[in-house]
Amino acid sequence: MLEFRTQGFNGYSTKYSPFFDSRIAVAASANFGLVGNGRLYILGLTADGVVPEKWFDTQDALFDTAWSEAHENQILAGAGDGSVKLFDITLSSPFPIQSWAEHAREVFSVHWNLVSKDTFLSSSWDGTIKVWDPTNAASVGTLPTHSCTYSAQFSPHNPALISAVSSDSHLRVFDLRTPASASNHLTLALPIHAAPAKPPGAAGPPTVQHAVPPSEALTHDWNKYRPTVVATAGVDRAIRTFDIRAPAQGPLAVLHGHEYAVRRVAWSPHLSDVLLSASYDMTCRVWTDGTGVKGGAGPGAMGMEHPVSLGGGREMGRMERHTEFVTGVDWCLFGAEGWCASCGWDERVLIWDVRAIMGPGG
Amino acid sequence: MANQTGRSDSAQERLSQVSGHLSSQKRGRAALLEQHPDDIVVTCALRTPMTKGGRGAFRDTQASDLLHSAFTSLLSRSGIDASLVEDIAVGNVLAPGGGATEFRAAALAAGFPVTTAVKSLNRQCSSGLQACVDIANAIKAGMIDVGVGAGVESMSTQYGPQAVSEFSELLDSVPVAKECKVPMGALSDRMARDKGVSREAQDAFAAHSFQKAERAQKQGLFDAEIAPVTVRLTDPETDEVREVTVSADDGIRAGMTAQSLAKLRPAFPGEDGSGSITAGNASQISDGAAAVLLMKRSTAQRLGQRVVGKFVAASVVGVAPLLMGVGPWKAIPAALAKAGGLDPADVDVFEINEAFASQCLWCCGELGIPEEKVNPKGGAIAFGHPLGMTGARQVSTLLTELRRTGKKVGVTSMCVGTGMGMAAVWVAE
Repeated sequence: MLEFRTQGFNGYSTKYSPFFDSRIAVAASANFGLVGNGRLYILGLTADGVVPEKWFDTQDALFDTAWSEAHENQILAGAGDGSVKLFDITLSSPFPIQSWAEHAREVFSVHWNLVSKDTFLSSSWDGTIKVWDPTNAASVGTLPTHSCTYSAQFSPHNPALISAVSSDSHLRVFDLRTPASASNHLTLALPIHAAPAKPPGAAGPPTVQHAVPPSEALTHDWNKYRPTVVATAGVDRAIRTFDIRAPAQGPLAVLHGHEYAVRRVAWSPHLSDVLLSASYDMTCRVWTDGTGVKGGAGPGAMGMEHPVSLGGGREMGRMERHTEFVTGVDWCLFGAEGWCASCGWDERVLIWDVRAIMGPGG
Repeated sequence: MANQTGRSDSAQERLSQVSGHLSSQKRGRAALLEQHPDDIVVTCALRTPMTKGGRGAFRDTQASDLLHSAFTSLLSRSGIDASLVEDIAVGNVLAPGGGATEFRAAALAAGFPVTTAVKSLNRQCSSGLQACVDIANAIKAGMIDVGVGAGVESMSTQYGPQAVSEFSELLDSVPVAKECKVPMGALSDRMARDKGVSREAQDAFAAHSFQKAERAQKQGLFDAEIAPVTVRLTDPETDEVREVTVSADDGIRAGMTAQSLAKLRPAFPGEDGSGSITAGNASQISDGAAAVLLMKRSTAQRLGQRVVGKFVAASVVGVAPLLMGVGPWKAIPAALAKAGGLDPADVDVFEINEAFASQCLWCCGELGIPEEKVNPKGGAIAFGHPLGMTGARQVSTLLTELRRTGKKVGVTSMCVGTGMGMAAVWVAE
């Protein structure tokens, strides 16, 4: 396990570079992000350990970061003052090369379009998602959620699909191909707290699972292999997976275990059933959603298209080295499947191998 | 834009956002312990001593005078401006006319201004609790801001057959209605037999109550909740009137054991002379008064009142008249459910009125409440059950004990004659 101290700054988000397996970015904030400066660290993984290659200081706290998918040296950060900033890490200037200030409140997530690579988005506590073109000084679109939106993403499979979770306990999906009618591209608003449906054709007594009260959704992630599967998590401590083709069906899987709110979930880039989570309970946990074939299943494997599991998922291991809220976790895209980075309010970035924490059953 | 608002405002908002992630999912006990401005809180709860009916130091004292004493002590201990108290509810069972007239007069005499309203109410043995709950609900509903829930009973002067009027032919013609007039001792004896609560178990429970009360009294654990009362007392032999100050319960007998209680004769013997309920394993007939000052937490903070606990939820249930003793068994789960889905294990202390050892024992057993959580300072078997007072008395007993031991969650409950039960959930602070 490698470690780096973000001295004086509490981590909020960490992301591996999509271009280099030795580069990690961390968005961090002084004073737990309540008041004061932010700092975006660019860390290099070297033979001598983790070294800071560069950092950018910002006026207000930074809550999320995302690497450009088009340019290996450019990176986004979302700030507490409502601005979205784009930095070029090769420049000696301490300032961003572009800053967009349209959100009225804290920007809590930024995400680059993984397919078309020419746009990115931001989501904010002001109840909107904004879509941006890095060459344009103004946003190219605004998608209202009317609810504090902690997390928004482009689908990794389709450049026109945008998903978001927000404090109203809903997963929304916007399709930019639909006409911008009164619904503002909104094609789906799925209640995360809804009860799971009975599996089709299941006999026997009704399931004992009930709907739970709505609670703030803080994070979500698209599965990298199953293009319609999204995992969500938040204040009610449970991680849920949904198939957006069957919103009325309720969650496919519900994973219980975290003792406090879950701040981040991330599907494995290597295995279709494995995801990582980071929580206020100071742990990172690795889970299977119960759909995987032992040993790892590739895309298109049998059973992937029709996941029938209403659960069967389980925790496969946990990393308990953080000593404060864990706020960010991300997988390394390269090399052996299992390397990841996590950051938290303990001013530490940990780089570790998921396989090292998995129990014998994993 | 966020950065145009004050910096401290935005920091505060971010803090509440993050704390919302951590707190909003609290359920059960954790949620209960949270403090909110609209909580209904207790800032003072006290009681007079309880003395034996007909023989104790209050034998010549009217209920109104006991109430007056509780009121004056409440005003002086809490330091509340009496003119801020908008309503007083007094639970009482035996006074003719409900005591409405003399209780209003007692409030005025104690220093409450004419603007403070007073009512009396009667839900039998739960009257004192009902009074506190009524005041709490009136505050919650916004009808009043500050109120007093109280209870008083002078069983010395008012206990007797006149407490129940003659049943009409109509009532006597309906079997379940007629059962309402079966004396509680008799029906409890039958219930003990039907439910299989043995005489030995009852005596052991009763002896334990005496022992706990004796120990608590010796250690001075009642002192914090008792406000001493000065009364005039006529010596029955010399007719000499003297003034005495009473500061302790007089019903607590030292050295009681299950063996000594086993010698007592059944109080309600059947035709064959059988029966398990005795004067030793049933509540004592006593006199006393208690008062509880209630308001919202925000009001308490504004007035500088020290919060000693909060009222969370209450329940009232009905049961068959002949099974009135099972009331707490039904009322306690209902109150716990209303308090946010608590489990009996979430509760630290239960104050369950010991109307009869048999029914209290049975209820605790059915609910799975461990013995050490029930009436840690003893109960009505040891120190008495002035009917209307008990519900309000339990609040001061409970909160004092919870605060002394650093515990938090408590329940008060009692069975109610004619087949009811009441329970309330409180949190000490």
